[in-house]
Amino acid sequence: MKRRDFLKNSGLASTALFVPSFLQAGQLGSFSRSRAGKILVVLQLSGGNDGLNTIVPYRNDIYYQNRPTLAIKKEEVLQVSDELGFNPAMASLRELYDDGLMSIVNNVGYPNPDRSHFRSMDIWHTASNSDEYLSTGWLGRYLDSNCSDCSSPHHALEVDDSLSLALKGAAHNGFAMSDPKQLKRTTDNKFLKALGQQYGHDHGDEQVAYLYKTMIDAQSSAAYLHEKAKVHRAKGEYPTTPFGKDLQQVAELITADTDTKIYYLSLTGFDTHANQQNQQERLLKQYADGMKAFVSDLKANNLMDDVLILTFSEFGRRVKQNASRGTDHGTANNLMLIGGQLKKPGFVNDGPDLTKLDQGDLIYQVDFRKVYANIIEQWLEADAAGILNGGFGGMRLV
Amino acid sequence: MEKIRHLYWRAGFGLNLGEWQERRHWSVKQAVEQLFKEAEKARPIALPKVESTEVVIGGNRDAKQQRQKLERQLVGQQNVQWIQRMANPMESALVERMSLFWHGHFACRTLVSKLAVNQLNTIRKHALGHFRDLLLAIAQDPSMIRYLNNQQNKKGSPNENFARELMELFTIGRGNYTEQDIKESARAFTGWSSNLQGEYVFRMRQHDYGQKTFFGKTGNFNGEDIIDMLLERKETALFITRKIYRYFVNTKVDEAIVQDLADTFYKSDYDIGKLMRTIFTSDWFYDSRNQGTKIKSPIEFMAGLMRQLNVDFEDPMSLIFVQKALGQMLFNPPNVAGWPGGKNWIDNSTLMLRLNLTAYLFNAAEVNMRTKDEFEALNRGKAQRKLKATVDLQPIVKWAGALAENEAFANLSDWLLSQPNPIQASSIKAFLKDRSKDTFVQTSVATMLSLPEYQMC
Repeated sequence: MKRRDFLKNSGLASTALFVPSFLQAGQLGSFSRSRAGKILVVLQLSGGNDGLNTIVPYRNDIYYQNRPTLAIKKEEVLQVSDELGFNPAMASLRELYDDGLMSIVNNVGYPNPDRSHFRSMDIWHTASNSDEYLSTGWLGRYLDSNCSDCSSPHHALEVDDSLSLALKGAAHNGFAMSDPKQLKRTTDNKFLKALGQQYGHDHGDEQVAYLYKTMIDAQSSAAYLHEKAKVHRAKGEYPTTPFGKDLQQVAELITADTDTKIYYLSLTGFDTHANQQNQQERLLKQYADGMKAFVSDLKANNLMDDVLILTFSEFGRRVKQNASRGTDHGTANNLMLIGGQLKKPGFVNDGPDLTKLDQGDLIYQVDFRKVYANIIEQWLEADAAGILNGGFGGMRLV
Repeated sequence: MEKIRHLYWRAGFGLNLGEWQERRHWSVKQAVEQLFKEAEKARPIALPKVESTEVVIGGNRDAKQQRQKLERQLVGQQNVQWIQRMANPMESALVERMSLFWHGHFACRTLVSKLAVNQLNTIRKHALGHFRDLLLAIAQDPSMIRYLNNQQNKKGSPNENFARELMELFTIGRGNYTEQDIKESARAFTGWSSNLQGEYVFRMRQHDYGQKTFFGKTGNFNGEDIIDMLLERKETALFITRKIYRYFVNTKVDEAIVQDLADTFYKSDYDIGKLMRTIFTSDWFYDSRNQGTKIKSPIEFMAGLMRQLNVDFEDPMSLIFVQKALGQMLFNPPNVAGWPGGKNWIDNSTLMLRLNLTAYLFNAAEVNMRTKDEFEALNRGKAQRKLKATVDLQPIVKWAGALAENEAFANLSDWLLSQPNPIQASSIKAFLKDRSKDTFVQTSVATMLSLPEYQMC
């Protein structure tokens, strides 16, 4: 957000002027923090990625019958197991897979699937049942349960201008930043800074106090992240797209020992109702190339064992292609984990059973909350049952 | 004076300067009368001029997609019309405010502009009427029927979505019914459908005329019977009253007061207007613990700011951009449970935009911000929005300029802020180079509107 000087253009004097000069020089926050423990990167493929053309069941006749023009030819598939292979656009992932840095879980979903983007995304963000409406996200609730002494909201950072529901808790929120310079401009309002310093404390009203705290935190996190973003330059070859830039940013912040435990990014455009192939492959290539660059940076800095990347989409797509060389909204989907400490590299379970469908859609076998539960327990070292409102044990991916 | 400010922020969208000058010394009784008198004259929202809805509801895929673009624009125009009404002192503040409340209660999303407007007009018509009429009209509202899949609710293969939300969110709340009650009542709503013209139709052949057992009673119940049986329960009156209290009075509920209100509401046959009148004329409503303790929703904040500054947007669509960026877009609630509200509105991104918005408006500044994208969008584009708007400060300058600086500052604070102003007139004066009264007044206004305190009502 670009902030011009407050009242200059309208011929009014700047409100910043009434701030005593001794207040303007104040340092915000302390800059001597360091990264604590393991880091989780969540990567959201928005729009409903077609899982069947991502991880291709290249020996399944039903797949080819249902997708006469959209199926990926057997000889083009990057065959990584006897049954399943990668979309050719994901060649960059091959090496990660072969090095045991990647786990793929098939048929992930939830009971009574909802085919609306908004609703299904909500369900993934809040980890709710499909007939339940929660106003906090799974990572937000993690912050609530584990962050009582976290000094900063950038403990969980979303690389975007606005904050996703996944990162909203009842008492703690994550932090949204798409670009450190831009963020700094938004918060570099001398009037608001002075206000925070001068009047930031002792508010009788709880809500007012909350607004002041959020404002002061935003100012100090912006300053902190702006500094941290300058420390390190990533060397990987990232796609020259906004997503590539976002990933590079995260790599740089991680390498700079930023005090952030969770990063949240998204890549959008997967709602491929028409002429799917080009669009999906362009996106998958961005994703795969981005991951390769990201992993090379982590490896170069000896951080591969400290980082786990979870990639998901709100749903997969219908098995049968539609009349516009695309696919419509579906249900269960595959999900990817990338990291140096995976318990089960490769395919965690069998590919989808195309003989048993529900109204033309895949039937889920793994509740996505089991994946969350495992990550919360083992990676974030928190109480999964409390955060997910119930037990979803049984998975051991990390 | 504080009472009038409080009343108008809760029953409306604050007061513009003219209203403030005229009404600040009114008695509560007089102001409440006026609010209800204005409400009687409220007009429905005009339907968008479109051809039949057949194409967008039942047409083939390409035609549908073609039309959806247009429909999105039309819903956008309706959105702008509505928020401009909220900001317009010539409209009924109370009706707009009640409609906004019910719009969040009966939260619904539609891509068909005509259905969206019809639903809003239904809400407006009953916003201060009897809850039963409103509820029944919503149960037969094509937009809601489509949103909650009642189209698919047929004899032999019931769809429980509507029945579940009817109980969980619209009337009685969790813990007061069983899963079996949902299953049985879903059967009572079979055949409640809508046609390609976007009208409600009852499809006899899809209706299940069999026996149903609901709340322990057995009979050949239809949807209206279920609604009546829900309204017979005092828990329903309590559920609705508590929600109204949390929205209009305080998120921290005084259980004794709510219980009293719910009893009266129940005995009045769910008369919403009476309930609201009781609330707005009660002494406890004006307790200091209820004043200035609510974080404005983005719509309340925007409509209030537009009203108080006489803001006129050159490109009205930027109003939708700001709604989206702040997390509350009309006709687009997050899900059927509506907007959660309170602290949930606030994160670093939304708060900084709120605090900077006045400055952006004064400067017609470029706002460089991406909102969460449409799912089909290929890449997040650079979203640069010029918030070109004119702000008319003349009446304010004229009014406050006639007073001594300290007095002007105190008056402005009283008008604009529901919380104590942390800034003193002397701080503004001491640091202004330009010593003119006009500059002082304008700077004071801009400062107050940029305070976290302005986010409270």
